[in-house]
Amino acid sequence: MSIATPCVSPRSSLRRWLAPLCALLFAAAAEADGDAGYQALRDWLAAGDPPTEGLTAGQHFGAKDRAQLEAYIPRTAWTYYFFDDMDMEVAAPGDYPPPPTWGKAVKAGYTLDDRGVLKGFTGGGYPFPEVTPDDPQAAYKVIWNMLWRPGQNDYDMPMVTWLRGEGGKLDRKLEYMAVNSTYAKGDECLVPGYEEVKSKRIMEFRSPRDMAGAKDMLVSFVDHDREDSGWLYMPAQRKPRRTLASERTSELMGMDMIREDMDGFGGKVHENNWTYLGTRNVVATINVADNPEFGGPHLWVPNKARWEVRKAHVLLIEPKAKDHPYSHRVVFIDAENFWTLWMFAFDKADDQLLRMQQHFLKYTESYDDEPPQQAPYISQDWNKSVGHHVLMHLGETDINAKKPHATMSHCYTNKRVFSSARARQYYSLRNMISGRR
Amino acid sequence: MTLRRHGLLAVAALLTGLPLTAPAIITLNDNIEVEGFVQSQNILRTPQMDDAEFIMQRNTAQIESKYYFLKDSTAFGRFNTGKLEEATFTFVGRAVYDSIYDIRESYRDDYIGRENGPRQHEGKVREAYLDLVLPPFSLRLGKQQIVWGETDNFRALDVINPLDLSWHWVWESWEDIRIPLWAARGVYDIGKIGKLEESFLEVVYIPWDVRQNVVETDPNKPWSLYGPGAQALPNSALVGNDLLDLNLKVIDGRPGRKLENGQAGFRFKAVWGNVDFSFNYFYSFSADPRAQFRNEFTRVTPTALNAVVETKYPRNHLVGFTANYSEEKYTQTVFRLETTFTTGVPITIAPGAPLSVDPNQDQFETARRSVVMLAADRPTWMKWLNKDRTIFLSSQIFWRRWLDYDESFRGLSSALPATLNGVVQPGRFFSVNNDEIDQDEVVMTFSASTTYGDAGLLQPRFVFAFDPRSTGAYNQIYVDYLLSTHVVLRFQQNLFWRFGGKEIGPWQLGDLWGHSNGQSRHESVFQFIYQF
Repeated sequence: MSIATPCVSPRSSLRRWLAPLCALLFAAAAEADGDAGYQALRDWLAAGDPPTEGLTAGQHFGAKDRAQLEAYIPRTAWTYYFFDDMDMEVAAPGDYPPPPTWGKAVKAGYTLDDRGVLKGFTGGGYPFPEVTPDDPQAAYKVIWNMLWRPGQNDYDMPMVTWLRGEGGKLDRKLEYMAVNSTYAKGDECLVPGYEEVKSKRIMEFRSPRDMAGAKDMLVSFVDHDREDSGWLYMPAQRKPRRTLASERTSELMGMDMIREDMDGFGGKVHENNWTYLGTRNVVATINVADNPEFGGPHLWVPNKARWEVRKAHVLLIEPKAKDHPYSHRVVFIDAENFWTLWMFAFDKADDQLLRMQQHFLKYTESYDDEPPQQAPYISQDWNKSVGHHVLMHLGETDINAKKPHATMSHCYTNKRVFSSARARQYYSLRNMISGRR
Repeated sequence: MTLRRHGLLAVAALLTGLPLTAPAIITLNDNIEVEGFVQSQNILRTPQMDDAEFIMQRNTAQIESKYYFLKDSTAFGRFNTGKLEEATFTFVGRAVYDSIYDIRESYRDDYIGRENGPRQHEGKVREAYLDLVLPPFSLRLGKQQIVWGETDNFRALDVINPLDLSWHWVWESWEDIRIPLWAARGVYDIGKIGKLEESFLEVVYIPWDVRQNVVETDPNKPWSLYGPGAQALPNSALVGNDLLDLNLKVIDGRPGRKLENGQAGFRFKAVWGNVDFSFNYFYSFSADPRAQFRNEFTRVTPTALNAVVETKYPRNHLVGFTANYSEEKYTQTVFRLETTFTTGVPITIAPGAPLSVDPNQDQFETARRSVVMLAADRPTWMKWLNKDRTIFLSSQIFWRRWLDYDESFRGLSSALPATLNGVVQPGRFFSVNNDEIDQDEVVMTFSASTTYGDAGLLQPRFVFAFDPRSTGAYNQIYVDYLLSTHVVLRFQQNLFWRFGGKEIGPWQLGDLWGHSNGQSRHESVFQFIYQF
């Protein structure tokens, strides 16, 4: 499968004539808006899928190898990911299968409605294990697989986030912890009686002190049409406050992302138009040795990290709302395990890059012989992760190209299995009425 | 060099010698976390906006620590605790020094020769409590703050802890001015009952710690509370045609530390659909005591009126209901509701009120009172003001009603220059109370806040509060700038004003003391905060 383009089709002789013209026009347009424009990314996609073996496994690539790497790094990211002392180790593509039981607990009877919304699905596996490129609903199926992927929940996740300006200027460093559990597990629910709940999360800030003790609880529901329920406890108020879930386009806590950017796409499916753009081989930090260090002139992107060439589904997401900040969002989702690898969102004002995101992942089975680093403020037993056969989120970088500014996170993620009784107690409003102070 | 100068130098050294690269939070052996702040608060009072008076130079150091001594049913890393899964100990200590009484000669001179100096120091354990988690039960034991309700910055259900208003009235974070109480707070997590989700029952018991809201009555203090009269203490009384000295003896009637003086309450909270609600009950002593004249001890001598009053802390029954609803589709707004009914609210009665209102003629009664509060919160896009982030708008209307109302209900008393046969007597002041309370008391508030800058380091907030009956109003413009992980710079401008009249109003919002005669309490607040 190659990337679909609006102009090129081998079946039509007229189109054969038009193809070079289109290419010229695209090239001209791309030249006009540089690497950061939406059209430039579409041109890069249209240029063809490079081979999986195009980058020699085990080799370290640097700035001198840019010509070789350009086909594997989305063009929109070139400005940030190519720099003088870049060191990109490329490993052989790995195999990261889901847990052996994955898919066996899925309850039949779910459907996609005419808005593309998944109805009646309760987890336990991918809703659409097979996605064929010619399926008119392929984009929906890929995004639903991403939204129900294995490993997205059930963890302790201590985090450190750096907010940096140009030249690496550190504006703020945050420490916080997220704990998250899947409730909807197919034919069973983590806490019987809560079958309407998809997952619950509690996140608490640790530092700096002006944020310390702030915590939120978020309840997501199986029914996609139902908005999340959220409460925010602020130590200065000493009580939880109900939060609004449907506002998803404001930046979070000064970070360079909006709620809808979570995992590449964290919004409502029916609020967007969806196009499946095919698959594309890209490099991804899919099974890093460790939380990567940050490099580049601004310390915004991973450096000296281990990458792999991964086949990714490419989705084009166009918000329907006229006042949405994005004109287009392009998401690259791993074709094997449906984790988001790259996301690019373009400004509605000029179709230039507004925000981008790239994720760092690690497979649990590699925790055994290649454990990630411990969080600077808590030690965890990595053995709890081994045997789960899922990818873990070890961090991400979020760049706002217009400011310009970036938010980089290290997540020290460890699997956590809650008993039904413990989950009922932990993820409760009762736990939100007081905090560390 | 005086002790005072040593104190000032110590503060200066502390503020300038703080490390800028220290960890954001101090962690000791994985189980103990220490954080806190050092703050210097400087206030300029700007009565007519064309001059300034330095009224506060308050330095605060606060230490907050948490000790995680029991995790995963193992205490101190070795003892199995069975069903007791987690336990922590939290400590918050605070030390305060207001150097204004050393810096300003006129302030210092006010206290020369007086038995009680200015309250310029404070050092106390703010909070110290043990948290025990024994699912589905959790317990907090110790000195703590307990906050109920949906209202911001006005008191209906949030009355368990009294407030210390003596430093700076209510214009500080309430987290810092609540008076923590020794209490037990247990929560039993019920979970799902029928259509109710997230339900729990909370029980609060305060065995003997009865406190009152603290207000400053010394008129020499910058934030003392006195009526719209002279800045003085009443010292005279008119008996017949004689001007006598007033000797007022105050008996503190605060309930003693006995078990029978316990206070207790409960709250049931749950979520029904998208509505989050609670039923509350609290049985307590009023934290707003009022003076009851002990007429049996009143004596008149040829030169003096010797009067005795006793501060009374009547028992209250408080019943409340709260709810909030997140309307996501049409208004994208969180609506909040709080309503209470309270018995035993103490009230001052005007002298000479009819026997039907004040049968004992002791100028003291209790009444019943209700509150209804409605509020709405909405993160709102105003891209002409902020293109990256929403502006959080919050508004509320707070309506309080005296159910047993009488026109003789009175609020703040005032000191007025004493006159005899139409001649003002220098240095002598009467106590009068012309502050008639309205049966319905209303206040409306609006606030807007957002963040600016690449990392949201500039955090402005605008607050407006208005009392439509007295026409008193308050504006606050507030900006935090997070200079670094450790340093926060804060500027706050408080403006007190009114449309007209001289009515104080129950919230003391407007230009109560000055009404533009140079005594206004407009102020500019500058804070330097080092946090760790």
